[in-house]
Parts: sequence; C-alpha cells; structure tokens
Amino acid sequence: MNRIARWQIAIFLAPALLIYASFSAWPLLDTLGLGFFNTDEAGQQHFAGLANYYKLLLDPQWSDGFWNAMGNNVEFFFIHMLVQNPIGLLLAALLSLKGVRFAKSYQTLLFLPTLLSVVIIGFIWQLILSPLWGVAESLLAQVGLAEHFQPWLGEEGSALLTLALISVWQFIGIPMMLIYAALIAIPEEVIEAARVEGASAWRIFWQIRLPLILPTLGLVTILTYVGNFNAFDLIYSVKGALAGPNYSTDILGTYFYRTFFGYQSQIGSPTMGAAVATLMFLVILAGVGVYFFAVQRRLQRHAF
Amino acid sequence: MAQVSLQQIRKSYDGQHDVLAGIDLDIQDGEFVVLVGPSGCGKSTLLRMLCGLEEISGGEMQIANQRVNDLPPAERGIAMVFQSYALYPHMTVYKNMAFGLKVAGADKAEIARRIRHAAAILKIDHLLERLPRELSGGQRQRVAIGRAIVREPKLFLFDEPLSNLDAALRVQTRLEIAKLHRELKATIVYVTHDQVEAMTLGDKIVVMHDGRIQQAGTPLELYQCPANLFVAGFIGSPKMNLLDGVVAEAGGEGVSISLTGGKTVHAAVDGSGLSVGERVTLGIRAEHWQAGEQGSERFCGTVNLVEHLGEANLLYLTLEGGQDVVLRGDGNVEVTYDSQLSLSADASAFHVFDRDGQALRRLQPGNLKVARRAAALV
Repeated sequence: MNRIARWQIAIFLAPALLIYASFSAWPLLDTLGLGFFNTDEAGQQHFAGLANYYKLLLDPQWSDGFWNAMGNNVEFFFIHMLVQNPIGLLLAALLSLKGVRFAKSYQTLLFLPTLLSVVIIGFIWQLILSPLWGVAESLLAQVGLAEHFQPWLGEEGSALLTLALISVWQFIGIPMMLIYAALIAIPEEVIEAARVEGASAWRIFWQIRLPLILPTLGLVTILTYVGNFNAFDLIYSVKGALAGPNYSTDILGTYFYRTFFGYQSQIGSPTMGAAVATLMFLVILAGVGVYFFAVQRRLQRHAF
Repeated sequence: MAQVSLQQIRKSYDGQHDVLAGIDLDIQDGEFVVLVGPSGCGKSTLLRMLCGLEEISGGEMQIANQRVNDLPPAERGIAMVFQSYALYPHMTVYKNMAFGLKVAGADKAEIARRIRHAAAILKIDHLLERLPRELSGGQRQRVAIGRAIVREPKLFLFDEPLSNLDAALRVQTRLEIAKLHRELKATIVYVTHDQVEAMTLGDKIVVMHDGRIQQAGTPLELYQCPANLFVAGFIGSPKMNLLDGVVAEAGGEGVSISLTGGKTVHAAVDGSGLSVGERVTLGIRAEHWQAGEQGSERFCGTVNLVEHLGEANLLYLTLEGGQDVVLRGDGNVEVTYDSQLSLSADASAFHVFDRDGQALRRLQPGNLKVARRAAALV
C-alpha cells in the first residue's frame, strides 16, 4: 500500500472543512466578535469592549426585558421537562408492552404533529382556543365545563403555559420515539429473568427498565434544553415579536429578534443583537457542558 | 426439592396446530433431566411452560405435588438460567444475586448469607462488586447459576446454558454443572440440542421431535435401545449406520434380513411381529463394526475417506451392496484410500426398525460392551 501524504489528507478534508468554516464556524466567531462593538448615529461600528453586555445585564432599560425573557425561557423548559418528557416516557412504555393492538398506528399518530410546520400548529391552536370562534369553548360546554373556559392565550398568567403545552403537544413524538427505541432494545430475557424472580411489572419498570434507559433520558433532556433555549417560531407565529400580552411569553429567541431586527418603534441593532445571541449561545453551551462533563460520564451505556 | 409430573401437556398458539402434543413426563426428586432435540422440537417451549413464561394450553402440570398450571413463575419454586444469562446489566454481581431475594422480602443478613454461600460454591467471591460487562462469558454463566442458587428453588431450569461458551469452556462448565448437581442434590431440567451434553449430564434424557417425546430413558438405554429411527439417528456420534432391506426370515429368536444388493444378515432382535418380505431398516453404530472377520456377519467395503481423531479413525466405506457406512476403527492402524477392507459385526450389535421406524426389541443389548472390548483387544 502506498503511504498517504499529508497533502492528500488535506485535500480530502478541504471541502467539508471549507463548508463548515464558512457557514458555521465563521458566522459564530463573527457574532461573538460583533458583540464587542457598538453602532453610532452615523452607522459606524466602534469597538466598545463589554459595554453591550453591561447594558444587557445591568441597565434596567435592557436588563428588565432580558431577565424577563430568561425567566420565561427557564419556565418554558421546565414545563417541557415536567410534561413532555414524562408523558413521552409513559407513551413509550405503553407502546413497548406486548400485544398492544394498533401500536404502530398510535406511534404514527402521536408523531404526526412533529412533522407539521410550527406556523400551522400555532395557527390551528390559535383558532381552537380563540374566545370568539374557537371550538374549545363549545367542546368544554359539551362536557359541562363551559364556565372553566378562559382566553388562555390572551391572559398574562396563562399565555406562556398554554404556548408551552402547545409545543409539548407538537413535539411529544420525539422523546417518545427515542425512549421507545431504547426500551425495545432491552433483551426480552432480562425482563423474563426479573419476572421469574417474582418482580411485578411496576418493579421491573422502575428497577430494571428505567435504569437501563437512563442514557436515553439524559439525551432527551439535553435535546429538550437546546431546543427550548433556541425556541422562537411558535411564540412568533402565535404572539408576534412582541410576545404579548405584556411580554409574558417573551423568551430569548423573541427578545433577540426584536433586538437584532427591531420591531415597531424599536430600532434594530446588529451589535446588541450579537450580544444577545452570544449570551444565548453561552447559556446553551453551559447546559451542554454540564451534561457532557457531569452527567454523561456517569451514565453507562449498557451493552446487552 | 421436588418431583415434577406432566400429564398430557399441550401447547398451541393458534388453537389448531400443536407445538406440543400431549407430553407425559415424570421427574423424580433430585433427578437431572435433559430435554434434547433438534431446533423447533418444542423443548424450549416445554421448559418455558415449566417456568411459567408460556401459558399451558392443556394438560396438568405439577411441581412438588402442587398444580402449577395457573401459578405465576415466582410461586412455582423454580429458578431459571437463561441462554444469554440475562444478568441485569446495571447491577453488580452482588445486586444481581440479591434482586430476587429482595423482591421476595428476605432480610439483609439472610440475603448476604445466601449470596456468600452460593459465591463460595461457584468460586465467584472476588467478583461480587463487578458489573456483568466486566466479566468473561464463563464468569457470567456462574453468576447466572448463582442467581438461581440463592433462591433455593425446588426445581432448576437451564435453557441451553452452554451454547454461548467456547468449546473448551463448555466442557469445563459441563463438568461443573454435573458436580453442582451432586452437591446441591437439586432437581434439574436442562434443555440442549447437543446430544453429547445430554449424554454426559443427564440421569434421564428426554428426546423430543415434532412436539412429541420420542423416548425418555437413561443415557445407556437410549444408546443401547433407541425406540425408533429418530432417536437412533440423534443419539450417538457419528450417526448410526442405517441400511435398507427386506425380511428374509423372522422369528422370536432373530431375524434374517436381505439387504439391498443381495447380502443377507442375521440380527439378534425379537422379530416375532414381522412377516417375510416386509421392508425394514437395519442399524449399526460405527463403533460396533469390527475391522476383520471376527464377527459373525461379514462384509467387504472400499475406503472412501478417513478421518483421524487420534484415538480412533472414522472410516467412510462403500459396501459391496452399494451402501455407504462409517466405521470407527483403531487410530493406530494406517488405512489407505480406495483400499479394500473386510469388516464384520456380531448379530447382537444390530438394531432393526420396522416399516414405521419403530425399533424391534433387541435380545442382547448389553452384549455390545463385550463385543467392543474384544475388538479393542484384537
């Protein structure tokens, strides 16, 4: 065999490296860099050190909105963790039971919303929940719960929760499929061994199956985290960039949008936007870092 | 410890086709029973029914004089060792062995005592804190057996436990399982497709085929008096030689059979039920041929192939009548290909099977040992 020369390695790596560098690495670095500049009235950019971050985190004119968005985003994430992932686990556990009729059909149906455009999802749910012509009120009336109907999307107290639940409804299929795949990978004989030893189905789930799918649950958690802190489209399609009422559904993505592009009376600022984007990047990086170094190292993938 | 009784046990998945068709079997207290047969014969299904992992479609199953048809596995007093070992991958060896006891609500001291005891028997004391993936195949096997032992079951069930081990380890583990059986005085039902495992381990061997028990008996009974053609072909290696022929003379004292190709052979079996002209199959094991002409029934053949096993040679011959047979000969004798060889056997060495493949009663089955020793001396 011929020895491979260094220039050959370089040539074969070049196309992928070039694409990755120009479309992923460079824009990221450029954004990080742009955050250290500010723009004067003439549109000139000047190096400003940490001034943008100082404004964002400490100047009440900016920081109130930023911390509000951050708090909402954390809430958005926790709702997903508390609702989406446990239900995904439950559905996966039910689907992986033996002899469930139409299991494949349920799987497809539950996964279907994930395939739909977020804009469509937002629009459909807006129509369903509309207090004027929405079907939700009359459906509740059918079961005698009409007086419990509220314009959930329009009230400050419930809008974020409602949007989070819509997002859960849409994306439930992803944790379900990942966990289902992990559950059916557990060899049948391991479960049978536990049955022979007298363990109940409940005990087998908590003490055998769940520990064996922990790596997948970790993966689902980090995917949810990244997805939620990057979220933008659902809020934008339902509530617009102002994320009303009164910014109660504002998350980092919509906050970034207003800062960067501007909205109504607010003038867009690429440099401030870059600073927001950098903070979002750091938040996600921190989360992923914690997962990789603290969690994933302790979880062991089990070879069966 | 307990005896097991199966009466007309049936298994059917669709209500029409029987996977198991009326199994009758009695297992004595402390007996080591091996279920053996080719894949698809129903042996694993029967074991899983004993275990409680498969429903019983019909019949009556008793363990320790208690009807267990509808009892869940845990209440049957059994423990199972799976083919893949089925250890819990996320638990240490200790926790693997403790799991069943914890489920049963045993207290900590008792669990520790039983695990120490089992670990000492199996020599896995030093592995207790390891995870299954840190163990070799043989060690996992021991842990799986240990997990069964700590539960102190009435009945041990083994599902092809050696099939995932390499050849050397298989022989060693086989010996250890036999030793373990003697130490624990346990009742064991053991499934395998390997007839050598069956012969070496079993007090009683149950040969199964097509969902039916073909024959149940001690290893020697099966070897000396196989009940039908299937058992004759299944037990013993190399396979028993089978030659087609028709009855020339029949009687209670013996049968004369004229083989295809013209040769007539006398076999010492009870032929009182046969009539002249009936088609039969003559059987003889490779090791019961004698090279030379000492035996009463003499043949001549051409050597096609020789396999050297060291202590013996397997000679593949074609007889004058055109039948292919295999002969187990002295390993020290050089045999050249295409050479003519005379071979013989005593009338008592033959098995005869009737048209339906059922064996006729052999008159002197035990004579074989003598014949074999004589052959070795010569």
